[in-house]
Amino acid sequence: MARKYREVGKAGWGYTALTTVVGFIYFFPVFWIILTAFKTRTDALAVPPKLFFTPTLDNFYSVFFRTSITTGNSQATDMGLYFFNSIFIAFTAVGFAVIVGTLAAYAFSRYPLRGNDTYLFIILTTRMMPPIVVIIPIFLMFRISGLAGSYWGIMLLYTAFNIPFSVWLVKSFFDELNPEIEDAARMDGSTERRVFFGFCIPQILAGLAATFVFGLILTWNEFLFALLLTGVDTRTVPVAMARTLGGEVGVDYGLLAAIVTLFLIPIFFVTFLLQNQLLRGVTFGTVKK
Amino acid sequence: MEHVTLSELRIQNLRRRFDSVVALEDMTFDVKDGEFFCLLGASSAGKTTTLRAIAGLEELEQGKVHFDGQDVTDAPVQGRGMSMIFQTFALYPHLTVEKNLAHPLERAGVDRSEVRKRVGEVAELLRVTHTLKRKPNTLSGGEQQRVAIGRAIVQRPKLLLLDEPLTNLDAKLRHDMRAEFKRLHRELGMTMLYATPDQLEALTMGERVGVIRDGSVVAIGTPRDLYENPQDTYVAQMVGSPPINFFSATAATDGQINLPFLEAQLPAPGVQSGQPVTLGLRPHDISLVGEGPERSAGFRANIKLTEPLGDVTVIDVNAKDTAMKLVLREEVAAKFKPGDDIQIGFDPADLHVFDGSNGVRLDAG
Repeated sequence: MARKYREVGKAGWGYTALTTVVGFIYFFPVFWIILTAFKTRTDALAVPPKLFFTPTLDNFYSVFFRTSITTGNSQATDMGLYFFNSIFIAFTAVGFAVIVGTLAAYAFSRYPLRGNDTYLFIILTTRMMPPIVVIIPIFLMFRISGLAGSYWGIMLLYTAFNIPFSVWLVKSFFDELNPEIEDAARMDGSTERRVFFGFCIPQILAGLAATFVFGLILTWNEFLFALLLTGVDTRTVPVAMARTLGGEVGVDYGLLAAIVTLFLIPIFFVTFLLQNQLLRGVTFGTVKK
Repeated sequence: MEHVTLSELRIQNLRRRFDSVVALEDMTFDVKDGEFFCLLGASSAGKTTTLRAIAGLEELEQGKVHFDGQDVTDAPVQGRGMSMIFQTFALYPHLTVEKNLAHPLERAGVDRSEVRKRVGEVAELLRVTHTLKRKPNTLSGGEQQRVAIGRAIVQRPKLLLLDEPLTNLDAKLRHDMRAEFKRLHRELGMTMLYATPDQLEALTMGERVGVIRDGSVVAIGTPRDLYENPQDTYVAQMVGSPPINFFSATAATDGQINLPFLEAQLPAPGVQSGQPVTLGLRPHDISLVGEGPERSAGFRANIKLTEPLGDVTVIDVNAKDTAMKLVLREEVAAKFKPGDDIQIGFDPADLHVFDGSNGVRLDAG
């Protein structure tokens, strides 16, 4: 070939500079929030904004303990519970959704029904309308059935909302697999169950990880349904965060930034742990095997 | 239940459609115990569907598959005593070569030390011992192919189905693997049913070859039979490379035909006066006048194109506006270039005479 190709994995200076600039633009708000979390109230509101200041951990302390203005006593907030709720609800619901979605996707991919595409399209339509459209009927259903305010209620709802996405994404991974591998396993004496668990699932683990992370991010940040359908005990962090706004002394930006910073950590870790899988998941089928 | 005595595998009247496309229609043939049988057919003639039907991977609308004395038409895929080598090799990408090879044995309940021993033996036989701890995607094409063979033969199946196993390999490897398959067949003695679109593979490996067309077997015979006495024009053009030359002609009188490029009439037994016929002449049966065996018919032809293949050269010529191919030894062909006139001929006994309308062979034998 006449044209010389750059060594794989090495970008030129131009590209490196460009990606650095774009990366900086994306990361700057996050960086600023994290910075604010370490600022005192005065520093946080200073004009012009301060880049250099004496960091403080007070904001993180007040996420979990509140000092009463009148008595001076330290009192635990419920923020620990809300963090637990967020983690518990999001992980369980998305986990369920990926499991159900995977089973459904396998069926749609390997045992197509008459009108298979129609069913898939109907499943997809549930993601087409804005969730707010269905909020009133769902609210009424939850009130009548007693699911409002319970863990089960919000988890079922999040599971249901994640299933269409899971089915579609996981089905595309199954469709990419070579069906002759499954036939070979059958001829070797594997049962249908073993073909699924021993041969199909291991081949799409990266895809499942990607599906899980995408669903998790979506669910983690969900606010509207959490606001209306969780109770005092099942409140999630986004809702709790909103409740710190306002109040008698205005917005405490330092406190808000500290909650946001803590709120970023779990997702950051999951994404970080699964980053290799994620890359393989999102590029699945686009790279020649 | 019908009892099968003569053959190991008996395929009867298989029929299968995909939507409105007929994949198999009245597919019938037998494969003898220990035989190397090739199914030769163009793509989408029904080769893969036939193999999958025999393995039980394909549902049938009609027909029976008898194997080893039993009707296995509705038997489950697992436990038929067959194995298959797929066109894509179908190695398990998440398992090491060792685990790939061990899988059929583990499923059959063979105990662990025996599994290790037999995996070792088969790896030795196929020269893939050095790859045992690696994943399939780190192997070369030839190694992947040999692992696929190993996985198929490790449980010592009574029948090995091979679905175009050489299609994904390069020319050099294909050549080596053809010899490898023959060696395996000799050493292991298992019945092999080999599907291929390549006449060279079918002729070099098959003890018998079944030519399939539009989902049914149209001819069965030894490679020599099919090459020398093709029963119709379809079989004649499927077998042999370069492909056979066809000429249209009309019988002048009973048993005599005229060819457009020949002065003399040729004897053609069984042909009636005025009957349209198609004549087949293999490129290898044409030679230079004075070079080949006794010539009964010589004529002048003009060279259009030469295709040197190393030891031989394929030459495209025109003889009075009739195009044909012939094959000459390289040292003979080297003397000519496109545009030259040559004097060529053939033995009339080498002519294949077919009916001009339906293509069926007229000169029996």
